[in-house]
Amino acid sequence: MSLNVVKFPVFPHLKKIIFPPRWLILFFLFLILNPVSSYAQEDLSSSWFNYHRVNMLVFLIFFFAVIVIFIERAKVGKSLFIRRIAGLDAIEEAVGRATEMGKPVLYISGIEDVDNIQTVASMIILGNVAKMVAGYETPLYVPVCMPFVVPIAEERVKEGYAAAGKPEAYNRDNVRYISSEQFAYAAGVNGIMMREKPAANLMFGSFYAESLLMAETGLATGAIQVAGTANIHQLPFFIVACDYTIIGEELFATSAYLSKEPKLLGSLKGSDLAKAIIMIILAVGALLDTLGITHFASWFYIE
Amino acid sequence: MGTGEILWNGLALFLTLSIFSILYKDNPFYKIAEHLVVGVSAGYFAIILYYNSFIPKVWVPVVHESKFLYILPTILGVLMWTRFSRKWSWVSRYPIAAYMGIGMGVAIPVTMQAYILVPLYATMQPIGFTSMALFNNLLVAAGVLCALVYFFFSKEHTGAFGGVAKVGIWTLMVGFGAGFGLTVMGRVSLLIERFTFMRDYLQKLFGF
Amino acid sequence: MAFYEKLMTMDRRVVYITMALAVAIPLFVPFQVPIHTTSEVKSVYDFIESLKPGDRLLIAIDYDPNAMAELHPMALTICRQCFAKGIKLFFVTLSQNGPGMAEQLVSRLSKEFNKKNGVDYIYLGYKPYPGLVILSMGQNFRISFPMDYYGTPVDSMPIMQGIRNYDDMKAVIAFEAGWVADSWIGDANGRYKLPVALGLTGVMTADYYPYIQSKQIIGLMGGLKGAAEYETLAKAKDRIASRGMKVQTITHIVVILFIIVGNIGFFMSRRKKL
Repeated sequence: MSLNVVKFPVFPHLKKIIFPPRWLILFFLFLILNPVSSYAQEDLSSSWFNYHRVNMLVFLIFFFAVIVIFIERAKVGKSLFIRRIAGLDAIEEAVGRATEMGKPVLYISGIEDVDNIQTVASMIILGNVAKMVAGYETPLYVPVCMPFVVPIAEERVKEGYAAAGKPEAYNRDNVRYISSEQFAYAAGVNGIMMREKPAANLMFGSFYAESLLMAETGLATGAIQVAGTANIHQLPFFIVACDYTIIGEELFATSAYLSKEPKLLGSLKGSDLAKAIIMIILAVGALLDTLGITHFASWFYIE
Repeated sequence: MGTGEILWNGLALFLTLSIFSILYKDNPFYKIAEHLVVGVSAGYFAIILYYNSFIPKVWVPVVHESKFLYILPTILGVLMWTRFSRKWSWVSRYPIAAYMGIGMGVAIPVTMQAYILVPLYATMQPIGFTSMALFNNLLVAAGVLCALVYFFFSKEHTGAFGGVAKVGIWTLMVGFGAGFGLTVMGRVSLLIERFTFMRDYLQKLFGF
Repeated sequence: MAFYEKLMTMDRRVVYITMALAVAIPLFVPFQVPIHTTSEVKSVYDFIESLKPGDRLLIAIDYDPNAMAELHPMALTICRQCFAKGIKLFFVTLSQNGPGMAEQLVSRLSKEFNKKNGVDYIYLGYKPYPGLVILSMGQNFRISFPMDYYGTPVDSMPIMQGIRNYDDMKAVIAFEAGWVADSWIGDANGRYKLPVALGLTGVMTADYYPYIQSKQIIGLMGGLKGAAEYETLAKAKDRIASRGMKVQTITHIVVILFIIVGNIGFFMSRRKKL
């Protein structure tokens, strides 16, 4: 049974969590609004609630609510528009070229662990790349940096091959753990690039100083390169060394667009609304500050 | 310089040159150096983890201090080893789920505070054209707004909206340019350090 | 082949050799370049200068040998300044290959200043998963570091008496070559209000300037230039970074020339195509 179809009667306690009794709501309101206790707590480590950060809690609840609402809308099949990311065409073109040349595709998922959302997005794109590659019967190499990422990468590639109707083409050895050390990993990947000469290098995830080393090596081997990262400081190197670069949050948009997964689509739409609200707050706050009204901005101050 | 220093520094010099040799073309020396980096790094990490994590966080608490609660996370960690069995590999999803859950729980409030609300508050500054400080604030606020528009996915980048998004990407490109310049400095620093090492070694060796 | 086509198809090995010469030759030619200090570096220096003898600082050596060229000079200069002022230092490393870097720094400086382990400084060692370690230190250093790097229980050391968490530290000076810097800002400063000063590799520097405006960090030192500035402010005797700046100047000129030449070639070939 999928978790999505679990109803309240199956887990009656869920209802209590989602719709807490009135006394509990009043208790939390008392905690939040109680002016005496809010300044009496000096030792924050011994308290359950940090009263100085209520504004952050409000924001978190608001953004969560917005995202959950959009996810629910996506789940019931409401059409949620997302503009097409140009980088997607570049990925298809790169895989296509590798197929024409009869050379492998190299997929690099960054150097961070699965708790990093970029790695998660990268794994989603990997699944779609695997599906694409399996369709063309092109070899796909996935050198991995962090041990926790290996099983997930294996699963994604396997699922991709299965989705393309070619589960037998999946080769577990093509998903390889290289090293958790940043530059050792880069050296290993560079070695693969130099020896295997992949026709397409796809680099999506969280990258640091190793980004240029790998992108430069890929450029030297003549591979078509598509990269994407939300680590702003690494984008310049991808921009100069790759054929196409997916910038910042476009990485998450790409994963949502490719997977059509309600959770990702809803999250993206929710974060779009959050961004619109932040833009309005920023513009209003700056204008009011210019007029000498600082009270509005102080709502967003976190002690 | 003693014999040991001559040998070890000589080996370091040889490995440095081996890595540099990739700039000419792929060759056996580069391959040796490359595999050595990967292997040494993996071995070093394993030993570091054993002495800095396993001994103080598992062995000492459980065996010497009888803190048996530490067995629970240890079991979760051991479950990761089920990846080696095709039959039992599904079990490893539990520690992964626990790790991801903890990671997300830790990351979300921090992200909201440190990377959204605090920078938002810092960007809400008086803006204007009458002084350099006010104009700088205006540039920062406008740059942030335009960049946010570029990352707005619910609307096609056409018309005036597309124009603002274009200003956003230019703003980003200016930032990338600054980053690239600093990176050149960083990379050259690495080269300087290696060249300085080689010069000092050769000077000591041959006494010039 | 036209001149601009030659520019566009220049063998990259020519670039490598030119760069190698641009680095090697200045190393043998004695000359100096002026070093101007910036406010972001000076604020770190002023902060350390404002500390009193006996104050405690957390020093995070979160870099591997590959970032040593940029970060080791600034770490050396700052630790020297701290030891000279009688500040007690708590070393920690959250980078995989960082233990060796920190060990080298600690052993060298403790000998130089005749400082005692466990009294004037402590080297807590390495633990994986930096974000969680940074959070745990906010509660109690002993959660992640019940023993120091050398295996001595921290409670047996005089320097740890009465020390619990970040409340007992004046700040963390974090030398960073990767994403651990985000954790210091987000977790240590964001959650526990620990003041943070950063020493960063050149690659990362541009990304961390916004945190100065938002006052999430005291200041930052970016790459070799930041290290050279700090050496100038601290009037350091061993000016490793400052010596490197003359080479930087020459290589930057060479890089700028390459960019100009490359762009001339690019625009001329594009005009020809049109």
